[in-house]
Amino acid sequence: MWPTWISPFTWWQGIIFAAVPPAVVIALYFLKLRRHPLEVPSTYLWHRAIEDLHVNSLWQRLRQSLLLFLQLLILLLVILALFRPGWRGTELLGDRFIFLIDTSASMNATDVEPTRLEFAKKRVDELIASMKSGDVAMVVSFSDEPHVEQAFTDNRRQLRKKVAAIRPTNRRSDLTKSLPIVAGLANPGRSSTTGTDDIQVATAQPANLYIFSDGRFDSVPEFDMGNLDPTYVPIGEGQSNNLAITAFNVQRNQETLDQLQAFASIENFGDEPVTVTASLYLDDDSADSAVIRDAAEVTVEPGKEKGVQFDLTGELEEGILRLELDETDHLQLDNRAYAVINPPREVNILLVTSGGGSLEQVLSTGGIADMAQVSIMAPSQLSQQQHLESAAAGAYDLIIYDACAPAVMPRCNTLFIGTVPPAPKVVGTEATEEEPSPAEEAEPAAVEDGADSPIHWVASEVTIEPIIVDVAQTHPLMQYIELSDVLILEATPLLVPPGGTTLIDSDAGTLLGIAPRDSFEDVVLGFELVSGEGDPNTNWPIRRSFAIFALNIVHYLGGATIELETATIRPGDTMTIRTEGPVPSIRITDPDNQTTILKQENADTFLYNETEQFGAYAVRQDDKDEITQRFSVNLFDTNESNIRPIEKLKIGAEKITGERVWQPLRREAWKYLLLLVLCVLLFEWYIYNRRVYL
Amino acid sequence: MATTTPEPLLSPEMLAQLERLELVSRKIFRGRMKGERRSRRKGQSVEFADFRPYVQGDDLRFIDWNLYARLDRLFLKLFLEEEDLHFFSLIDASASMDFGEPSKFLYAKRLAAALGFIGLCRADRVKIETLGQAVANPGPTLRGRRSLWRMQEYLEGVQADQNVSLLDGVKNFCIRNHGKGILVLITDLMDKQGYEKAFKYLMAQQMDVYIIHLLSPEELEPDVSGDLRLVDCEDADVAEITVSRPLMQRYRQTLNAFVDGARQYCSRRGMTYMLASTETPVDQLVSNYLRQRGLVR
Repeated sequence: MWPTWISPFTWWQGIIFAAVPPAVVIALYFLKLRRHPLEVPSTYLWHRAIEDLHVNSLWQRLRQSLLLFLQLLILLLVILALFRPGWRGTELLGDRFIFLIDTSASMNATDVEPTRLEFAKKRVDELIASMKSGDVAMVVSFSDEPHVEQAFTDNRRQLRKKVAAIRPTNRRSDLTKSLPIVAGLANPGRSSTTGTDDIQVATAQPANLYIFSDGRFDSVPEFDMGNLDPTYVPIGEGQSNNLAITAFNVQRNQETLDQLQAFASIENFGDEPVTVTASLYLDDDSADSAVIRDAAEVTVEPGKEKGVQFDLTGELEEGILRLELDETDHLQLDNRAYAVINPPREVNILLVTSGGGSLEQVLSTGGIADMAQVSIMAPSQLSQQQHLESAAAGAYDLIIYDACAPAVMPRCNTLFIGTVPPAPKVVGTEATEEEPSPAEEAEPAAVEDGADSPIHWVASEVTIEPIIVDVAQTHPLMQYIELSDVLILEATPLLVPPGGTTLIDSDAGTLLGIAPRDSFEDVVLGFELVSGEGDPNTNWPIRRSFAIFALNIVHYLGGATIELETATIRPGDTMTIRTEGPVPSIRITDPDNQTTILKQENADTFLYNETEQFGAYAVRQDDKDEITQRFSVNLFDTNESNIRPIEKLKIGAEKITGERVWQPLRREAWKYLLLLVLCVLLFEWYIYNRRVYL
Repeated sequence: MATTTPEPLLSPEMLAQLERLELVSRKIFRGRMKGERRSRRKGQSVEFADFRPYVQGDDLRFIDWNLYARLDRLFLKLFLEEEDLHFFSLIDASASMDFGEPSKFLYAKRLAAALGFIGLCRADRVKIETLGQAVANPGPTLRGRRSLWRMQEYLEGVQADQNVSLLDGVKNFCIRNHGKGILVLITDLMDKQGYEKAFKYLMAQQMDVYIIHLLSPEELEPDVSGDLRLVDCEDADVAEITVSRPLMQRYRQTLNAFVDGARQYCSRRGMTYMLASTETPVDQLVSNYLRQRGLVR
């Protein structure tokens, strides 16, 4: 293979440039004082000695000029090195390699034969084959989770076996978790603490990192590659076309609740406008084959998104809707989407109020009544054993405490109005007999914990007429809520516990906050709707935003949203399944009809994470055959559906330009030339000092 | 006494050592004067050798009258003759001899002085000359122990500046010195015309010839390096060399061939050749090597 050169000269300029220094050296050689005169007794013997050597005098001259030749050789090598010769080859440089292989959904694309992942595996296989003896390598596959397929080893057979065993996933790609794993092996940072001394135990292990991916993931802004020498190998064609369903869900028609509407969003990631037929199927468990319910022809402009709406008439209590595009593009995974229709389930809401408030009115509106069943209870009944049991068992989805508070927090989401949740009990969860008043509950907490960093909710001193300055409208609870016309007489601004979020901020402090508690969330309103004397404390209940707030509360805290609309997750995500009331176990059947049994761990909540496959999953309770609910797994990720590979990765401050491996690596030769120069220089020095000709 | 060297040519210890030695000739020479040497010839001395019948004309003083009385016949008593020996030292005083540390010339003078002293001690006739000796100013002929200082004085006055060829020097010597005796030629043989012709002249002299080939360590194992222009100190001849291992090997081969050639040449012609390095002390050379060669005993 011929070397290539990196030189600012054309070939003839290069020749001229390269000819000058040797000419100078030769001139200097001839100009130099050739020989030191030395007086000897007689040249008689010397003449006789060199007589024989004169026979082959040309060779003698050459031998005598060995130093000159060595100098010329050195010069030649230096000039050669300056022209930076290099070879193109796929040989690996370095001795420690980390192969990071993207296995996300987009790697299933078929724009390179046979698929992107297979192509990447082939490239890795070739690189492993070109590893030198003693080189070690590690194979890590990643989607949204990294997976170390093979730790550092020099066993090439093992490496290739592990690479061959890598399977594609349907997940998204995310480099943020993978990089620390590979970086941890290359960068020191771990330390061992023995006694009081902190000792670094890991030594730096520089490694070459090869990232085989299409680069469709979020850039990793805060990461230092350290000793890692990254090489990004983009996989995939730049002209890849893909049409994807990026959203698909089913909602009940707001006007006629027995009607369903399916909404889909189709996005075109190609260069050409595409006209496609979207077919909507209804998969019925009872029927053997799916029934086509509707179809629509959609034309999507390149780079644009288009919505499709299907109206589903007739009584549809439950089932699986499947939307399919008849387009044959490079990524088939996202041409199909699933939406499940769950039987309507009422949200169980308990309102604890002394009565007569606007809350009861709001919760009895038609919209909410359709979704939720609202029970009302007086604060005095809070300590009743029956209530305590059902609260502890998680019988309710949401409990609203209007100007009162329980002794023990129930196992469900809560909304506190004008009070704060009680401080967590340190020992025991038994309900106490005493019935704490809101004031009594708030005071000790404030005294105990101080004001700066409460570990639980704390209400501050009463503030008169706080002015609302900010509403966190991005939060689902505060959507569509406008509070500029709301007046408040008295409020007790809140200190939100760690992990919480301020939803309504005033000049005096937080008026509405939300904070997690175990697997639940508590929302606390820092002012009462009606003062203790029965006079209105605020005009919010008579504003429209209050009704919307109530609806949001039912949707969000009551879990109604999940039930109706968003029973879809992405592959690999954890599905939180709630049952109506406590059940000992549930069975989940995945699209391949494999059944998983989950035992009860946490009241009515089950966590299911074997959500690798696209499609609809069915949930059954205990041993019953009846499907109680369904959920679907869809890709719905524009990053994955946009399969055009990114040419430049940004990791930390480093920008890594993609090097397609089939544009072979350049192997620089100048270092070796300079090494050779050093050797020749040493040899010349030896010759000069020893006068030895070999 | 003019002293040109910091130390005398011969140290007292060396003199004491040399006193016990004596020059030996393998040939029978007629000395001009009666010496301390027992000659192979019969002559006048106290040491009886033989009888022989009287013939007419014999010296009547040597008739053994006692024998005549007993046998009534005349017999002559023969005695071993004691005679002197001619010892010549011929020193090469060319510029090439003035090399080395100590210089070959100084070494040659010491050697000549040592051998001369041995001769003086035995009442031999000692003559020391250089190759370029002017005809008008021949070297002194010395005899007797008392002449030691004359000999030393003479030797110290000789300088290595007589650039005559070996042939011319030998020829010059041979013309002026006809006698028989022992000739020790101390030279480095570095003559571009070769030594063969000169040696032929020496052969014709029918002397007992000893060639002492004197070389300095610098010539035997030259310690030179680099690119050199070698200048001959006699004729300013130039040899350009680049010192290398093959060249040094070649030099050593040439030197060996040269020495071997000279040795063979001499041995075939009845001359005794000896290679001496100036590294060998003079007394050691005399008492060991020359003794082995039979020059002294």
